[in-house]
Amino acid sequence: MRDFEYLEPTTIAEACALLKHYGGEARAYAGGAYLGIVMRQGLLAPKALVNIKKIDALKGIRHDVKDGLVIGALTTHRELETSKIAREKFPIFAHVEREVANIRVRNVGTIGGNLASGEPLTDLAQVFMALDARVAVVGPATSRLIPIEELFLDFYHTSLADDEILTHVIVPPLPPRSGIEYIRFSSSSVVDKPCVGVCVRATLSADNETCDELRISLGCVAPTPLRARKAEAILSGKDFSSELVEQASASAAQECSPTADLRGSERFKRGIVRVLVRRAAARAYERARQH
Amino acid sequence: MKKQIRIRVNGLERELEVSMRATLLDTVRDQLGLTAAKLGCEMQVCGACTLLVDGKPVSACSYLAVDADGAEILTTEGLADGAKLHPLQEAFMETGALQCGYCTSGFLLTAKAMLDENPHPTEEYIREYLAGNFCRCGCYGEILQAVKKAAGL
Repeated sequence: MRDFEYLEPTTIAEACALLKHYGGEARAYAGGAYLGIVMRQGLLAPKALVNIKKIDALKGIRHDVKDGLVIGALTTHRELETSKIAREKFPIFAHVEREVANIRVRNVGTIGGNLASGEPLTDLAQVFMALDARVAVVGPATSRLIPIEELFLDFYHTSLADDEILTHVIVPPLPPRSGIEYIRFSSSSVVDKPCVGVCVRATLSADNETCDELRISLGCVAPTPLRARKAEAILSGKDFSSELVEQASASAAQECSPTADLRGSERFKRGIVRVLVRRAAARAYERARQH
Repeated sequence: MKKQIRIRVNGLERELEVSMRATLLDTVRDQLGLTAAKLGCEMQVCGACTLLVDGKPVSACSYLAVDADGAEILTTEGLADGAKLHPLQEAFMETGALQCGYCTSGFLLTAKAMLDENPHPTEEYIREYLAGNFCRCGCYGEILQAVKKAAGL
């Protein structure tokens, strides 16, 4: 690891000013689940680390009727997994987090860091996408609220400027008659990064049959997590049928661009996408009907 | 570049000068001579370097020492109460839950954190909690048995 300066600001403004001062040569640091590894491997060698862990404004999870669930960037995976309010309002997060990496990574890795790293082999982004989440981003002079899809540009590359910090993830309340399911598939050990991760959210109209709103998000099978929009269009506005779900699953498998690696070939991963979309859709519909 | 940090290690207050890039593992092993925790995969996967920071298991191989400033650290050397071994250590010996012993420190500390959090775990809970610690000798059966024994299961 190359030597670096280590800074500990206590406010967001101070942190942004420091990042700006180093003009792209500094990195915001929180739990070290990502930077701790890539710096050790020599893949990144920032001149300065701006440890944002002492900034109270980035901590905690809160919920209100209007905004929904507001997750501070410093929230760890373990905190999201065990948070009472998150469990009550969005039990899907505890279901997903249980399977994220291992207990040590969940203890230090933060939600903000997970998203800001642009790591493509991850889980939460798909779930946030299916829930229409937005992220709050603050820079030295500006602040913006963007749909989570607009955060991801490419492998390990986000739309965050060098001096911007992701401060919160905002998950709006689910409309009535909604159901959601996330399925992660690992091709080796359960604690490995996912091979494919699929999230489906279905929101039914008042007749409890027609699909009003549908989200299908795919992870690990493209440079960024993505929505399978053609697949969504196949099911939107229609009654649930296994034929349509099969068509949508086949479409989703073609809308992504998986790379062959140690977790599977391109063809294998497309096959997994197809199966997971089918299963997740069935479960999401079932849950939506029960609501 | 160096920085002064204050950490409490196994109950003892320590004031250390550490390099910015020193990991917590380097620090406890090289500066304090506490060598139970081992360097394994260096990427937060295997668990051999596990230490408890404020009661929580972390991968010390990639945890910056400067980031531990002010924290309470527990290493396996601090598990026993004087000459009296921790119930987990007793259970590991009784069930023969190790061969080479490289992973043992990580397993002990992870199991300790788990029992502190949840003194009455189910077998499934133990399996999930310990899933991120690897034993290359393959003593998983005995390790599970030992942890269950210490948990009174």
